[in-house]
Amino acid sequence: MALEQYAGDMGMCCRCSACKFVPMQKVKGSDYSYVCPSIAKYNFHAYSGGGRMNIGTAAVKNGMNYTDRLLDVVYNCQMCGACDVSCKYAMDMEVLEPISEFRMKCNEDGKTNAALDKVIAGLRKTGSMVPAKGKRGAWAAGLGIKDATKEKVDVLFHVGCLTSFDPEMQKLAKATARILEKAGVSFGIAGDAETCCGGRAYQMGYKDDFLAQAKKNMALIKKCGAKTLVTGCADGYQAFKVLYDKYDLKGKLEVLHISEYIDKLIKDGKLKPRKKVNLSVTYHDPCRLGRLGEPWIHWEGTKVPGDRFVFDPPKEYRRGAKGIYEPPRDVIKSIPGVKLTEMTRIKEYAWCCGAGGGVNESNPEFATWTAQKRIDEAVSTGAEAIVTACPWCEKTLNEAIKASGSSLKVYDIVELVEKAI
Amino acid sequence: MAFTKEVYKEFEDVVGVENICDDPSIMPAYYGTEFAAVILPKDTAEVQALVKLCNKHKVMFRPICTGWSGMFPKGIVLFDLRRMNRIVEINEKNMYAVVEPYVISAELQAELMKRGLNFCIKGAGTNCSAMLRGHGHMDQTTSGDDRNHLAIEWVTPEGEIVRSGSLGSADEWFCGDGPGPSLRAILTSAVPPGVTPGVFTKAAVKLYHWPGPSEFPIVGHSPKYTLGEIPANTMARYYSFPSVDKMWQAELKLGEGEICYELMGFNAAMVSCNITTCNEEEEEVFAKMSKEVQGPGFFVIIAGSSPEDFAYKKHVLEYIVKQNGGKSLKTVENPEVEGILMCQCIRISASIRETFRAGGAFNSIPIMGQRDLTIKWAIGAGKAKEPLIKNGYIVDDGGAFFGWGVEQGHLGKTEIFCKYDPQNAEAKKAVEQWQQEQTRRAFTEKYFASTLGSQEDIGPALSNYHLWWQKLVKTLDPNGVSPEGGALV
Ligand SMILES: Cc1cc2nc3c(=O)[nH]c(=O)nc-3n(C[C@H](O)[C@H](O)[C@H](O)COP(=O)(O)OP(=O)(O)OC[C@H]3O[C@@H](n4cnc5c(N)ncnc54)[C@H](O)[C@@H]3O)c2cc1C
Ligand code: SF4
Ligand code: SF4
Repeated sequence: MALEQYAGDMGMCCRCSACKFVPMQKVKGSDYSYVCPSIAKYNFHAYSGGGRMNIGTAAVKNGMNYTDRLLDVVYNCQMCGACDVSCKYAMDMEVLEPISEFRMKCNEDGKTNAALDKVIAGLRKTGSMVPAKGKRGAWAAGLGIKDATKEKVDVLFHVGCLTSFDPEMQKLAKATARILEKAGVSFGIAGDAETCCGGRAYQMGYKDDFLAQAKKNMALIKKCGAKTLVTGCADGYQAFKVLYDKYDLKGKLEVLHISEYIDKLIKDGKLKPRKKVNLSVTYHDPCRLGRLGEPWIHWEGTKVPGDRFVFDPPKEYRRGAKGIYEPPRDVIKSIPGVKLTEMTRIKEYAWCCGAGGGVNESNPEFATWTAQKRIDEAVSTGAEAIVTACPWCEKTLNEAIKASGSSLKVYDIVELVEKAI
Repeated sequence: MAFTKEVYKEFEDVVGVENICDDPSIMPAYYGTEFAAVILPKDTAEVQALVKLCNKHKVMFRPICTGWSGMFPKGIVLFDLRRMNRIVEINEKNMYAVVEPYVISAELQAELMKRGLNFCIKGAGTNCSAMLRGHGHMDQTTSGDDRNHLAIEWVTPEGEIVRSGSLGSADEWFCGDGPGPSLRAILTSAVPPGVTPGVFTKAAVKLYHWPGPSEFPIVGHSPKYTLGEIPANTMARYYSFPSVDKMWQAELKLGEGEICYELMGFNAAMVSCNITTCNEEEEEVFAKMSKEVQGPGFFVIIAGSSPEDFAYKKHVLEYIVKQNGGKSLKTVENPEVEGILMCQCIRISASIRETFRAGGAFNSIPIMGQRDLTIKWAIGAGKAKEPLIKNGYIVDDGGAFFGWGVEQGHLGKTEIFCKYDPQNAEAKKAVEQWQQEQTRRAFTEKYFASTLGSQEDIGPALSNYHLWWQKLVKTLDPNGVSPEGGALV
């Protein structure tokens, strides 16, 4: 869909500002009431979901009015979808979709961000969103993990760029492999043949690069013959599960996030977290596993002429309710000794870690600022550690901790499970 | 009209480079108007300095809290008060809270509920500022409008700082009228053009007892939050009556009985909007509910301070409803629906569902006045909606109006909506015509003088208030930096 196709949605914006906050009923006081990092940091209405709708409406009417400031607005958004959820509490309109289309339009018009261009150049060259130092599958050397491109496996573990290449994050891949082995799962990896899911390229506005990656991945999966794909990364999860489906590329592939899969293994009795892990934790919902992990709903229709904003056929909106919220929590609760305390902003109205939408690369300071707010919120629960389910969250949260000197620990859910088995 | 570089720099020096912007590409984000600049002051001192600069350069300005409404002429400076978002004080003993403009009602209310307190929240929603006056769901308990304003800190259009009420003589916020200058008629005046010139930078609002829980036990995910359980000693019901007159009699008796925490004259269409999560569902539920109700009605929440208090209130409620032939709507007796409505209508979080969701726009005629008289007018205004419904211009709500009694219920707010698709030019025109005709009818048939009407017509009937107001504004704003128009509602 192009921006113009969302003219009706954007035109519905009534400027109520609900998209700046967690849903009103969930506001618990003056702390942690804001949900949109962009408006919280930059304050001008343009940086909010509603402001973006109004700028989009003007662009459809009068054409794009490119200025440096406009591009600052466009690229200082984590594409986290929190505005979309808060708006859709009461309204029937798309918010994140037009924001995303606006960014893609900027991209088509060559109004890109230099830092993001650099990342995408790397992607085109190496198939990775992070600098590809060494070989992608090197982390697995000596672990005896099956090569899914050579052996038949039931489950393909898509490791992801950051986990594959970042020496600090490879521990997550290893932990995942150990957990799957322990549960007796027939799984494999694509090793050096693995390539980026394209999800982050999509968030950054590079739709063609996303589609190219998606096609490469689906061809690889077809070749492997795996029916189930497990991702350790929330971006990967959203890409395979939601975005590939949006573009009719997913087919019948079952896509599971590792937290969902572990939850299933525990509930099926195949995995038993027995060892005590004495730790008080809080859980951070990654945007793309939570609200943006909600399945895609295919719909095409037209507005029924007349008084109401209704469609033929009726349009079912994705409102964030159907993301992956309980499985990671159930996994955490299944670990003996772990005490889970929730933060104020959770599930569909969770505060983003700051890394989304390429902000990590285009404006690292803003990413860290956003993460710092999350760290403060986690600390307010009294927890010793914040647990997440995405390497990008872990990395960004750690950077904020480093900058602020907080003693909070950050764990990925697989690290916690690994400690318990 | 953009600033010259030099003038821009003067404003920038007050707030810093990050808090001023005149880039045309982002202006449409605010409103369909071009501002000379948008400025984000952080405190009263900065507001004062900015206002003085506006006087120096004869530039018009207007402030916003959340910026949901108002009129913004081209070329003015917009003060977006977003950064002034502190709850300055919650004084439990003297029952007031002091807030800056960008504290939204949801934030203040959540803090208050933890302390067994609440305050008057505009029916517009808790997404609005907690500071500006208004009317809402809890008016029978909290009253509305300027009744809730205590001391105010005000930067006048010339840039003087005036502290009204008790704040004028001591560092105390407890009273709006003294010891110290009251200025109530100016600061909280409801007369058109109605917008107080200058900037409110802090205000104290009155607090009231909240007998309910410190936090609602909400379950579910957006957009379907409900209560895991109905809190002890609380109950929400919708009653319909055989006639408008019976409904009004019941409303009045309930007001006099002082037993309702909230009484909101929702019509069935508004209840349907509130309990449904999309337009299609709402259409279905409204059709069902239209058959379920026997006539006009209202929504009530009672909240007891003890089981005995609750039992008493419930008994009185049921007695009055019965006396007037009222019938409780079964749909709302379902605890899930009751829960949705209870938290939504205390935490005022779904007015958008009632107003904008269906068509994207609505026009309304709101009136504050003698409730029985305004109800009589509203029946006619509702009838006048019927041709618009028939032509498919506006959403079918059965031609209904709504409203609620304030304090004991004789005084009240009555309002009537037309919801339509703003892209439909014919519908828009028809709605505007309806609005003009019904506003004029209210005046000519002597129901009330709506602030939406022409000042030249209604002014003379109301002691020429408009001329007095113009004189006041001229004195307060000798450099003419406060634009006319817009209502501070
Ligand atoms: C759907 C809907 C339903 C509504 N229902 C109700 C209702 O039931 N009851 C009710 O009372 N109102 C109702 N309103 C009106 C509502 O209260 C106003 O829209 C209100 O303005 C909401 O935003 P706000 O409080 O943040 O003020 P803003 O929108 O920011 O400002 C409102 C006006 O006040 C001026 N202003 C803002 N801040 C200051 C300041 N610090 N000093 C001086 N002037 C200032 C602005 O210039 C503007 O003219 C409704 C509005 C809508 C859109
Ligand atoms: S995007 Fe939605 S929530 Fe935000 S201002 Fe517009 S209508 Fe309100
Ligand atoms: S996507 Fe996230 S960062 Fe962007 S406007 Fe919406 S809430 Fe703000």
